[in-house]
Amino acid sequence: MSRSPIHSGHRRSDDPEHRAARRPTARLIAAGAALALLLGAAACSSGGTGNAGTSGTAGNANNAGSTSASGQSGQGTSGRSDSGSSTATNTVIPDQPVGNATLTIYSGQHEALVQALTAAFTKATGIKTTIRAGEDAELANQIIEEGAASPADLYLSEEPGPVGLLDSKGLLAKVDPATLQEADQRLVPSTGDWLPYAARSRALFYDPKLISEADLPHSIMDLTQPQWKGKFAYAPSGAFTATVSYLIDTIGSDKTLDWLKGIKANGINEQTNGKVRDSVEAGQHAFGLSNHYYWYILAAQKGGADKLASRVYFFDHPDAGGLLLASGAGVIKASKHQAEAQEFLKWLGSADGGQQVIAGAQAAQFPVAPGVVSKTPGMPSLADLKAPNVDSSIYADTTEAQALIIKAGMS
Amino acid sequence: MSEATESPLAEALYEPQPRGTRRAPRSGRHGRAPRLVLLAAGVVAVASLAPAAYLVLREGFSIGLLWRALDSPSTPELLWHTAALVLTVGAASMLLGVGLAVLVVRTSLPAPRLWIVLFTMPLAVPGFVSAYTWVAASFRYAPSSTAIFGLGGSTLVMSLGLFPYVFLPTVAALRGVDAAQEEVSRGLGRSELRTFLTVTLPQLRVAISAGSLIVVLHVVSEFGALQLLNYSTLTTAIMQRMQVLGSPESARALAVVLVGGAALLLLVEKIARGRQAPARVGRGVLRAPVRWGLGRARWLWALACAAVSLLALGVPLYIAIVGLADGLSGAGAAGADAALDGQVGIDWAALGSAALSTLELALAAGVVATVVGLPISWLYARHPGRFATIAERSVWLAHALPGVIVALALVYLGVRWFRPVYQTPLMLVAAYVVLFLPLAVASQHVGLRAAGRRLDEAAHSLGYGRLRVLVRVTLPLALPGVAAGALFVLLDSAKELTTTLLLIPTGMTTLSTALWSTTNGEVLDFTAAAPYGIALILIGVLPAYLLARRTVRLTA
Repeated sequence: MSRSPIHSGHRRSDDPEHRAARRPTARLIAAGAALALLLGAAACSSGGTGNAGTSGTAGNANNAGSTSASGQSGQGTSGRSDSGSSTATNTVIPDQPVGNATLTIYSGQHEALVQALTAAFTKATGIKTTIRAGEDAELANQIIEEGAASPADLYLSEEPGPVGLLDSKGLLAKVDPATLQEADQRLVPSTGDWLPYAARSRALFYDPKLISEADLPHSIMDLTQPQWKGKFAYAPSGAFTATVSYLIDTIGSDKTLDWLKGIKANGINEQTNGKVRDSVEAGQHAFGLSNHYYWYILAAQKGGADKLASRVYFFDHPDAGGLLLASGAGVIKASKHQAEAQEFLKWLGSADGGQQVIAGAQAAQFPVAPGVVSKTPGMPSLADLKAPNVDSSIYADTTEAQALIIKAGMS
Repeated sequence: MSEATESPLAEALYEPQPRGTRRAPRSGRHGRAPRLVLLAAGVVAVASLAPAAYLVLREGFSIGLLWRALDSPSTPELLWHTAALVLTVGAASMLLGVGLAVLVVRTSLPAPRLWIVLFTMPLAVPGFVSAYTWVAASFRYAPSSTAIFGLGGSTLVMSLGLFPYVFLPTVAALRGVDAAQEEVSRGLGRSELRTFLTVTLPQLRVAISAGSLIVVLHVVSEFGALQLLNYSTLTTAIMQRMQVLGSPESARALAVVLVGGAALLLLVEKIARGRQAPARVGRGVLRAPVRWGLGRARWLWALACAAVSLLALGVPLYIAIVGLADGLSGAGAAGADAALDGQVGIDWAALGSAALSTLELALAAGVVATVVGLPISWLYARHPGRFATIAERSVWLAHALPGVIVALALVYLGVRWFRPVYQTPLMLVAAYVVLFLPLAVASQHVGLRAAGRRLDEAAHSLGYGRLRVLVRVTLPLALPGVAAGALFVLLDSAKELTTTLLLIPTGMTTLSTALWSTTNGEVLDFTAAAPYGIALILIGVLPAYLLARRTVRLTA
């Protein structure tokens, strides 16, 4: 049996009435399409002005939209006075001449921190910025897909992996060597194509009711042993991938794969570092592998470390579980605002510029300029950490790490 | 007019068969479709397939890569997990959707209209918000319990959010069932139950099957909720490879596997839907169906209905309101400036502008999807055949893909060939349309079928041209179905997060992206996020209410 309308319709194609009748429908469709475009366009224009403003004022509008977030973390003083001053960023004319460029920053970093950084940068230099916030690696992928046409001037990562990925694809411009000089040299990648501007340490969160600090594993390498089965949580996050890259670099692929399989067998996959923290805090696991700042954020939210059931532990010797991971900033090669973008990096890395914001900001990450110390209560200084010595550029190519993580059945 | 008024207009998926015929008339009797409609439908279908095509046509894809994706040790587990969740959520949604529909339409349950509204409202709650609140509630009130995580918890949370997609069309279809047939069955000695199973249920097949398809495709493409609930599926693995591992090649290879699975689901549903409608001779008059008396037990059943609503709506709302209260009271507390990334008090300006953009984008998506969907649904309703079927099935495929794949496909295409609209709201609206077009097409199809081709013919014979028939006769009659489609698209667009993050114009925020950034994507803290979550739910309430109201009218 024939179901095709086209086939059966042929017989009638010569019917003049039908041919004539076709035209009005055609017109209707065209009208419909035009209407759709019109409505779409109308929605666009109003949507655009309602929020980001026109491109000329995008930076300001964006800052204004984020006043309270950037206000609170402004310069690390009390929330109240800050929110006043950052409301003013919208209207106050900076001392320095205003640059014409608006820097478009793609950022995988926690949004409140980036907003605090850009607000302070605009205040200091007069150069406007606009932020595109998203997931770390996803934004890196977006820049890759955009290629030479990318509207991004700068990319700010959370983890060294994604910024390293852009570097390995040749999408980043060289960073001014003087800027790189300002940072903790342990974190500077050998390629010199991106600037470490903040750092996070891998750490353990543990529940003292379930395990004492002395009983914690000596190394995360021990976690594959049977006594740790079902005791700990982990998350196959970007930082975890970095850990795998580090292990491949130090003990080789085969042993790393064995370790991953052991972790998969013994640990509980909590999917994200935040959930590792929350589940340990809820008493579901004795301890978990995560990034240090999650715990400090929670401590601040709850009104102090003493209000938490869990504790944070930094390894007291160079261990894979205590890796120090840099958040990186790079200038996109295709950017038309190279000078301003380099200016941003210079400010971001300087001890009295961006590093102060990171030290004061409540995102609880480590500033990386020597001598600048985080004001987050209880946080050790970067110099005190016994992290392994690693060239950050080993995190760039995550192909093998991904392959092993997938092979171990974690993704 | 009777054809229009008695059909389940608002209900997306129920396809009433034309009265007195065994099957839909073939196109032969009505000439072939206008070429422009064919062209438009073809263009829309191709556009809908673009994301899937991107997966295999983009450089970097190879059969070897696909093979490695299939051969990877985690793939069987991911496939199994996905299939298991599809089955459990599909079954639970069917059970809830059909069971509640029967309860509301065919029994003496008190306040049926109220329940219809309440059972529609879960559509207003985004999946990741409800998962988030369930996990927060679990950590808050049962810190040591892990019951909410894994297959069980995921089934619970997702079914509670998705069952309305089955419930609404089933209510409408139940209403359309001819009471006379049931009477005959009972008159011939069949029991109530047997009558229901053998006479009534088969007539609900199309509604249940199509509703379940929407549910299942939502399950297949869900990410945020499942990540929070610790359940990994193909989509969560794709997202993790894309977002965290930075391994787009392996993510795309896995997505190809997902597309294959989705195509299989579409085929299965097409078969389950069946070709032939139950025979019915004579026009009959629709009467209020017999309602089964529940006796005193009706209060128990009402209690059960209340429990479902409480779980589906109460938990998200309660946690959001507790979070809001915490956030507001934090303003006066001594440790206020301790709330790190959060903000104390509500930033009304930011909230307002995010709500406005959400509304504008979702409205635009609803309107555009309606216009773009019409050629396909019109073709499918008026000129069914192979081309129409392929075009209709094509628009469903993108619905199964994770948002990130659709988004990156559009980034790739946009940057290369549509540079002027890249990162403009137009691009985002286009993404919403690609993602949610099937919801519009399915509803429109119902509306167009309900409008009845005989009225078209009558108008033709009275001298109307084709355009006038469409504008003066068909569209007005199909309007409720068309409008319902727009509402479904609007609802899903407002809730969308993954694609929005990648395609939104730089500097713009919607409620879902604001929700995402206040919670840093993963940190469980609903104090800063609560206003956005509540606003998002409130924005969804109106369209959900409009959908419910239509159904209420039908059952009145």
